[in-house]
Amino acid sequence: MSFEMWTEKYRPKRLDEMVNQKEIVERLKSFVKSRNVPHCIFAGPPGTGKTTAALCLARDLYGDAYREHIMELNASDERGIDVVRETVKTFARVRSIGDVPFKIMILDEADNMTSDAQQALRRTMERYTETCRFILIANYSGKIIEPIQSRCAPFRFTYLPKTEHDEFLRRIAKNEGITLLDEGLEAIFEVCGGDMRRAINTLQAAASFGKSITAEIVYSVVGRAHPADIQQMVLTALNGDFIKAREKLREMIQKYGVAGTDIIRQIHTEIFRINTVPEPWKIKLADTIGEIDFRLVQGSNEEVQLSALLARLVEAGYEMKQK
Amino acid sequence: MHTAWTIKHKPQTLAEVVGNKDVIQKLVTWVKAWDKGIPKKRVVFIYGPPGIGKTVAVETLAKDLDMELAEKNASDYRTEEAVKKFAGIASQYATLFGKKRLILFDELDGITGTQDRGGVKALTEIIKVTRCPLVLIANNAYDPKFTTLRNYCLLLQFKKPPAGEVAKLLRKICAREGIEAEEDALKFIAQRSGGDVRSAINDLQALAQGKTRLTYEDVSWLAYRDRQENIFTILRMIFYARSCISAKQAVDMADVDPDMLFEWIYENVPRHLTHPRDLARAMNALSLADVYRGRIRSTRNWKFTRYFMDFMTAGVAMARRETKPSGWTPFRFPKRIQTLSRSKASRRLELEIGRKIRRKCHISSYRASKEVLPYIRIIFENNVDMAVEIARWLDLNAGMIKYIAGEEQAEAIIRLLEA
Repeated sequence: MSFEMWTEKYRPKRLDEMVNQKEIVERLKSFVKSRNVPHCIFAGPPGTGKTTAALCLARDLYGDAYREHIMELNASDERGIDVVRETVKTFARVRSIGDVPFKIMILDEADNMTSDAQQALRRTMERYTETCRFILIANYSGKIIEPIQSRCAPFRFTYLPKTEHDEFLRRIAKNEGITLLDEGLEAIFEVCGGDMRRAINTLQAAASFGKSITAEIVYSVVGRAHPADIQQMVLTALNGDFIKAREKLREMIQKYGVAGTDIIRQIHTEIFRINTVPEPWKIKLADTIGEIDFRLVQGSNEEVQLSALLARLVEAGYEMKQK
Repeated sequence: MHTAWTIKHKPQTLAEVVGNKDVIQKLVTWVKAWDKGIPKKRVVFIYGPPGIGKTVAVETLAKDLDMELAEKNASDYRTEEAVKKFAGIASQYATLFGKKRLILFDELDGITGTQDRGGVKALTEIIKVTRCPLVLIANNAYDPKFTTLRNYCLLLQFKKPPAGEVAKLLRKICAREGIEAEEDALKFIAQRSGGDVRSAINDLQALAQGKTRLTYEDVSWLAYRDRQENIFTILRMIFYARSCISAKQAVDMADVDPDMLFEWIYENVPRHLTHPRDLARAMNALSLADVYRGRIRSTRNWKFTRYFMDFMTAGVAMARRETKPSGWTPFRFPKRIQTLSRSKASRRLELEIGRKIRRKCHISSYRASKEVLPYIRIIFENNVDMAVEIARWLDLNAGMIKYIAGEEQAEAIIRLLEA
């Protein structure tokens, strides 16, 4: 076994190494061949190879010294308008030396940029097209303003299908000399749903136990990465104890640092599993959960949004008992 | 071991008393007049708000003029019977040893005025015939029970000294205590006390004792303490408002940070809107308020603040439809603020680790701390060898390793790392 984060160790280096998103990879290869890249938007769920594709494209285009020709900025960390004005501009306006006449700016998590910053970015993109091409990476392309979208070639990434997911993890397991049982593999896919970053992290954490990887170990890893019991919290709310349910929520968010989107996804799964909830109520609750999920994106505080959802569960539990 | 500074730094001479110079001069003139025989008014009635030096003025006066002070206060003369006991000492100007005598009846507000107990009546009898100077002190000389008594007295009103004078005194005390204090800090304490010198000194002691420096930051939390009182009123107005407008107005009453107010409301909603339907409505209002807060941040357009405020005040107030009134429910301090400030250090550390991960893993530091760190933690807890390599690869320092792995495991990791 070797020891670094496997997500990095096994991150494909060249477009040829990418096992998934075949059509996208083909189009990117044609950019390399013509030595011309348009502005791009890579959109899709986490762990599907957006950042990897951008880095592979750069390496294929510029060779191993590709670092000198690209800049990676993460909009979540530097989302203000000033960054666009200063950093991006400074990078964009200086011409690259070599046979490719432009540099590439990779803007990760671009959907987290403020709309003002996006407006500023739009002008920069236009002005320095000659010297710099932009690859915007986002979970939701809808959060990128229209004028930028219309200047970019869109690429839509999707979760890895099970066959490609399995193939990739098996290769890692073989290379690291660990025993990955089929049931373990199944469990990882069930839990991570084709999000490769999560899948590989889960695999590595499971491997740290030093045994062959069973479904049980996978679940225990997931349980510890997401330790709070979502089901317990949902039942507490349905039984009418809002304050206690909110305590559990706080524990998850503050003590264990579970992300709001993960919590709501699991609440959504749980609702359909709980026997005591009448069937028509499940779909009613799905509507509420969906609404709150949407507000999670718009709001500023995950705990507030999720406890509003818990309050709705308390209300639902009350209404169910009325009949 | 520490004496109260109000005692330790009590004025020793009349000149040291803060403020009220004119009235004090009148007091001195009146006492000195006794040397030439009994003056027209045998009694001085000093009144004014608490903590401004009424008693201490009389005490230092006696000291300055080398008089014997016979001091009585509230507990000594609740009733007619108790007051009559002092008739004797008032009948002679000088003591057995030839010292002149000054009588002080302090804290007169506590005396009963009703006929059956008759404390005031008995006192009035004494002051009509007293043969030595007698001083009365009360907060309010115009209480109806003093109506008759007032006719026999020279009324002297003590006023609150200006904040500048109080600050000057605080500065003097700091100098004596060897404390270097920022001017702003002292001014803040003085102003806040509203002229009550005693409480200003008490505050100063509470804040500065044992320190060598007192800064503005050290004292500004006092403002917070004041505001907390205030916030309960605002919360009550919001939770029990019957119209949108009155809920909205509650906020204008005081200078509260909207985000802070939001936390207070968010914490207390479930205790004040207990019916499930009301609770869901109120929490939905807070959810919408939070959405507007998100919009304010992402657009940096402050005009949305008004909608944020609408939902968190009127939205919550209008949620109340079915909850039955249940008597008095106390307000809780926002737990989130407590835990946030407690875990501030660990959150900072988490973010620093997130930055380390970001450098290697092409992910934002926020998402790194949420999505990658949990797995790293499992690895660190289970597998020292793997942990060592990852720690080296990420360039984590000892503090970070301890945070991730816990004390014990961290020791093993660090030992290997250094080997």
